[in-house]
Amino acid sequence: MKESHQIDQSPIDSYQIQQTPRINVVFNHENIQYSGADPLRLHYVVEGVESHSVAAIERSVVWYTEGKGEEDFGVVFFERIQLDKRNDGTKILPKSVNTEHLTGALAVDLPHSPLSYEGIIVKIRWCVRIRIFFRSGRDFVSEHIFFLGNVPLAQLSEKIRS
Amino acid sequence: MRLPTFFNKKRGNRRTGLPAWGSLGEGIYHAVLLVAGLIIGVLMLAGIAVPEWRINNQFIGVDGRLIGKGLARHTLRDVFGGAKYSWRPALLVQYDVGGEEVESWNTVHSSETHETRDVAVHQLDDWKLGGHVRCWYDPDDIETVVLKRGYSWWLWLLTLLLPGALVTFGATGLLHSLKSWGRSEERQAAQFGRLLETLASPLPESVGFPTIPACDNLVNSPGMMLRFRLPTESPEFWSLIGSGLFSGLWNLVVVLLAVNVGFDVAGGRADWWLLGLLTPFVIVGLASIGLFCRQLFFVTAVGPTHVEISGHPLCPGNNYQVLLSQAGSASFRKLELFLELEEQATFRQGTDVRTERQIVWQFLIRCWKDVEPLPGTPFEAEEQLQLPSETMHSFHSTHNAVSWRLVLRGVPKRWPAFERVFPVVVFPADRPKSNGENK
Repeated sequence: MKESHQIDQSPIDSYQIQQTPRINVVFNHENIQYSGADPLRLHYVVEGVESHSVAAIERSVVWYTEGKGEEDFGVVFFERIQLDKRNDGTKILPKSVNTEHLTGALAVDLPHSPLSYEGIIVKIRWCVRIRIFFRSGRDFVSEHIFFLGNVPLAQLSEKIRS
Repeated sequence: MRLPTFFNKKRGNRRTGLPAWGSLGEGIYHAVLLVAGLIIGVLMLAGIAVPEWRINNQFIGVDGRLIGKGLARHTLRDVFGGAKYSWRPALLVQYDVGGEEVESWNTVHSSETHETRDVAVHQLDDWKLGGHVRCWYDPDDIETVVLKRGYSWWLWLLTLLLPGALVTFGATGLLHSLKSWGRSEERQAAQFGRLLETLASPLPESVGFPTIPACDNLVNSPGMMLRFRLPTESPEFWSLIGSGLFSGLWNLVVVLLAVNVGFDVAGGRADWWLLGLLTPFVIVGLASIGLFCRQLFFVTAVGPTHVEISGHPLCPGNNYQVLLSQAGSASFRKLELFLELEEQATFRQGTDVRTERQIVWQFLIRCWKDVEPLPGTPFEAEEQLQLPSETMHSFHSTHNAVSWRLVLRGVPKRWPAFERVFPVVVFPADRPKSNGENK
């Protein structure tokens, strides 16, 4: 099991929020390397925030493109957990979610495509996003990259370059 | 107390902050456009379209008598104190409404006014005093009478076009803002993305393989020797259509101009400036015809290219037979058949939408030199193709694509080099095996 790094977090950001969340995600594949149709299971822990200040948490598994073109985006798993309505009985939380300690787990079967790809002008990335919505109206997103497939890096040969 | 920020903090491609403010700003902007479109639409309908519709549907037709005629002058003063005049024929009509004799000057549309007085006077000559005329009066105001009915289509088009564009733009923008209000991009994609992708995607996807284009159109044509014949995407074909369209439209304009000039010359009123201006247009028109004929001759002289393949869709690590058939009577210095992987990215640059292509992998399947076709027999060659075992599959999304293709590049002996492209679809390596594949 491996803990992935959170890429979207900085305590010296200009968008200062009263609390600085830290979100740690542990994937079921140590090398965060998956094949098509593999089950993706993960466990996350949100630290550094008071649970009563969080209105909702969204967990999603997405792919997106990077590179020269406009960003394209696809969602294979999405779940929103509304925490601030849990007392009125309208929301039933998944068993995998602990609202007191802000931890959770999710499991999803990955699709066969698109595979992670590191091209020249087109790149495809897969990630798990944990997005926290605070009661103040702000939100905070943490993105945890993993790899689907094992496509090698695209490299231009001298002949194509010329 | 901190004021809310009106923009989000951008970190790479990620944004954090208060997305609601962005949606609110967009929503207000589009709501203003929507309201402006509705107001302009109502004003134009009330001022232009409805009166014209009433004349054609509610005014009552009677036979009247023309008892007077004159010229009405409309003066339009500008801010500098200057005046501009327009003229229209004014006709006094006598007609009967329920036993009551009514005399009234006719109402005309603003489009019937003329800036030249002589034109209006000339129109007035067509009306004979004391003559009987058909007229239509307003049942709500019997002194409002017209002598002409009908619709001006351009006025209706204008009435619908400007407010229609504002309403459409404002309403779609407002819907988009409502859709994204308080929703993350993941939530929007999960709730609306599939619907929008289905509507917007130019290519259908393969079942069970998201973002891989369906290859139904690539396997519906059986080959003569191998299992499938691949369709072609020939750049020369599109440039032939483009040059044909340009040549046709350009020369149509030239002919229309030349006919007018020809009438002037025939009537002894040759305008040398106009003739001089027409000359470069004629030269460009003749050059475009020449270019089109050259391309047409080139396409037909080189002859069609057919490529057949033993299996499709392709899968990494598998072997396939490929048959190349080049018809036509042209001899070639060189023919090269490639397998290529091309990336394609579409992006906005200012107000332009640009598409960049980059070949990232190329494999020469075979090169033939000094090809001399036998009369009546196409040049044919069958080759074996092996896809690399670890390679990217075909991918297509709204703005990005990774495409596999077989490409024939040829250098004819008497013609410029040409290129013919045959798209293929490659699936990921770990999919179930299809027919026609050999390990």
